[in-house]
Amino acid sequence: MTVTPVNAECASTGSAHEEPGGAVEMSMREAINSALHTALREDPRTLVFGEDVGRLGGVFRVTDGLWHTFGEDRVFDTPISESAIIGAAVGLAMNGFRPIPELQFDGFAYPAVDQIVNQLARMHYRTRGAVTMPVTVRLPSFGGIRAPEHHGESLEALFAHVPGLTVVAPSTPHDAHHLLLRSVRTDDPVIYLEPKARYWDRGPVGRRNDEAPGGTVEPIGASRVVRAGRHATLIAWGAMVRRCLQVADLAAEDGVELEVIDLRWLKPIDADGLAASVARTRRAVVVHEAPLTAGLGAEVAALVTERAFRDLAAPVQRVTGYDVPYPAGPLEPRYLPTNDRVLLAVQRTLEY
Amino acid sequence: MQAQEARAADPLPPAHARSLYRAMLTARLIDGEAIALQRQGVLPAYVSARGQEAAQAGSAAALDIERDFAFPTYREIAAALTLGVDMVGYLASHRALWHGGLYDPVASRFGAVNAVVGGPVPHAVGWAMGERLAGRTGCALSYFGDGASSEGDVHEAMNLAGVMRAPVVFLCQNNRWALSVPNERQVAGGSIAARAAGYGMPGVAVDGNDVAAVYRATRQALEHARSGGGPSLVEARTYRIEPHSTSDDTSRYRDPDEERQWRERDPVARLRAELGEAGHTDDTLARVEREARESAERVRDGICARPEPDGDDLFRYVYAEPTDELARQWRAWREEAAP
Amino acid sequence: MTERTFTLPDLGEGLVEARVLEWRVAPGDRVGRNEPLVELETAKSAVEIPSPHAGVVTRLHVEEDQLVRVGDTLVTFDLERDSGIVGTVPEEAERTERRVRLRPPEE
Repeated sequence: MTVTPVNAECASTGSAHEEPGGAVEMSMREAINSALHTALREDPRTLVFGEDVGRLGGVFRVTDGLWHTFGEDRVFDTPISESAIIGAAVGLAMNGFRPIPELQFDGFAYPAVDQIVNQLARMHYRTRGAVTMPVTVRLPSFGGIRAPEHHGESLEALFAHVPGLTVVAPSTPHDAHHLLLRSVRTDDPVIYLEPKARYWDRGPVGRRNDEAPGGTVEPIGASRVVRAGRHATLIAWGAMVRRCLQVADLAAEDGVELEVIDLRWLKPIDADGLAASVARTRRAVVVHEAPLTAGLGAEVAALVTERAFRDLAAPVQRVTGYDVPYPAGPLEPRYLPTNDRVLLAVQRTLEY
Repeated sequence: MQAQEARAADPLPPAHARSLYRAMLTARLIDGEAIALQRQGVLPAYVSARGQEAAQAGSAAALDIERDFAFPTYREIAAALTLGVDMVGYLASHRALWHGGLYDPVASRFGAVNAVVGGPVPHAVGWAMGERLAGRTGCALSYFGDGASSEGDVHEAMNLAGVMRAPVVFLCQNNRWALSVPNERQVAGGSIAARAAGYGMPGVAVDGNDVAAVYRATRQALEHARSGGGPSLVEARTYRIEPHSTSDDTSRYRDPDEERQWRERDPVARLRAELGEAGHTDDTLARVEREARESAERVRDGICARPEPDGDDLFRYVYAEPTDELARQWRAWREEAAP
Repeated sequence: MTERTFTLPDLGEGLVEARVLEWRVAPGDRVGRNEPLVELETAKSAVEIPSPHAGVVTRLHVEEDQLVRVGDTLVTFDLERDSGIVGTVPEEAERTERRVRLRPPEE
């Protein structure tokens, strides 16, 4: 499969401006929006639907302008029926379409879990490959915005556990744009988790994918070293990547050089990339918002231990949310990993 | 069974109508204070019930709080107030102090605030089944909206209630707008009340801005349930005057003329006019209004002053029988994150 | 008299800034609680902010058409009576103070 270089124009906002080198400065919300414009423009089989994604343009305005540009047949509002949204995506995919449905908030994905797990994820397998499921489920995810209940949850471990699903979570506008387009172009179902705490953060979005010279397709599952270091590796995704970069700055004040890996693809996980990093640093700390027990950090720790056991100078540490339901406003910052908690974990690996 | 359109209801007895007016007006004023508090940074977000006071107060007033139980979602401030729920505790959900609110749902006969539309509807059915199994006479009242009526949970709940003949009243506040999606794009067939026929129960659509009509329809449905007749569906047709939430912008999807028309059908103003016609003096009504305003200001000051929850509350209520592992995490949290 | 400032709150689930469209008060004006203070525009919508205090406006910190970040001061009041807590800016957990210091490993 070949893919033309990505055109990162921002179709709807007019606020983006081009930077030297062809990158365009935009927010993550705009970066996803522009990727959706590109996807709909490039392939008439793509469809965007879900709750309030049409005329309103989505509760976070991520689908702003699509309904006006591509019309009601390709961008439409559904009733509040998450199970039917995903079930219909399965049927549309069976009929040759490439749906990009949205589930409005993380906690509202649960009513659709039956269709995702029992149907979407295994149709290809059930039909011995006769039917593909090119469905990208967009899911505003994770916490940090003082939102009501069911608006701050992290479902990555749930979906990563399901055979047949691919799971991805960008942390920057650039990745948000390109990982979404990569998701849309695969023939397998992808759960695309959008860190809503980062929707309004701005950053450069390159016209061409950094990892894809010449505009070839970047592999699904590639992590990215976002900061090089030699004393320990921090592994994170989504909104926690910025947290880890802050921690790396703080550690540098003490002469400790932390490497930070943005995992990006949460299934498949880049085990080789993790092992290569740990071979350099000998220590690893994985950071996520989701609760500890059976969280994705456990999978990361197991992979690192299996692949790099002899390189490790200390057990892999996990800094996560607690095994409690995602809390309301003032308790949110006391639930989420803080700089100090990550630093403490780093200290434990250094002093082990 | 056919869904019927209820005819305009006879007026309620004067004292009853006046007490409903007090409840509706107080809820309206607290609702307005809550919107202001959101703009002032005290509430992170708020969902206004403006325009739905008659549908809520009329239905809640029909309950017997000695034995019945109401299951709200998250836009039920006037129902809560009518049932006597502590309003500061109710608004605590919207101040993000505790998702479910900080009132006692068991003592209040009013379930915790629930953000999943449709989610609590099967709970009402189960609770009602429990009343029958225990030989008691309580009925459940389930609040949900036109948007929630599209959820599988709601359909499953109605069918289950019909099969079990559970003493439950499904009270749909059809406020025309499910966030940005109007009835025409939400409710196939156009009538939620009509769906009752498919589940073998009576369904009735009433003018949701006529508090007497809502009260009488709910009352009748409760009597039907209490006497062993099983579930009913009441669709109160009303209007969400304000945006879906304080984060929403109706100008992107809704005709302001429609909003204006519904503002003219304001249920609070309508009841006030009816009270005047029924002979309540301006002095009496002015007193009710002054008391409502004072009450709303007390609630406003109360929610502003309510302290933030103790951080230990993160861990305190996860299990009735706490685990060692959670206790370990709690200790680690105290050392690493508590200050 | 008590001096109180009012800072821009997060007006809608994670918003980071807003633009001042129009001030409804001027320095020296006496304003009542919940009376119109300023109209702002966010990425989601235009909203009118009702005054969180009853008192005298002493200073507007931002000009019309200017962008304000969440947490920036909008206006200062002189109050005859303090009207309690108003406005919290979400603690972005990006606290700069740190308690944990590290030592590089011996090599």
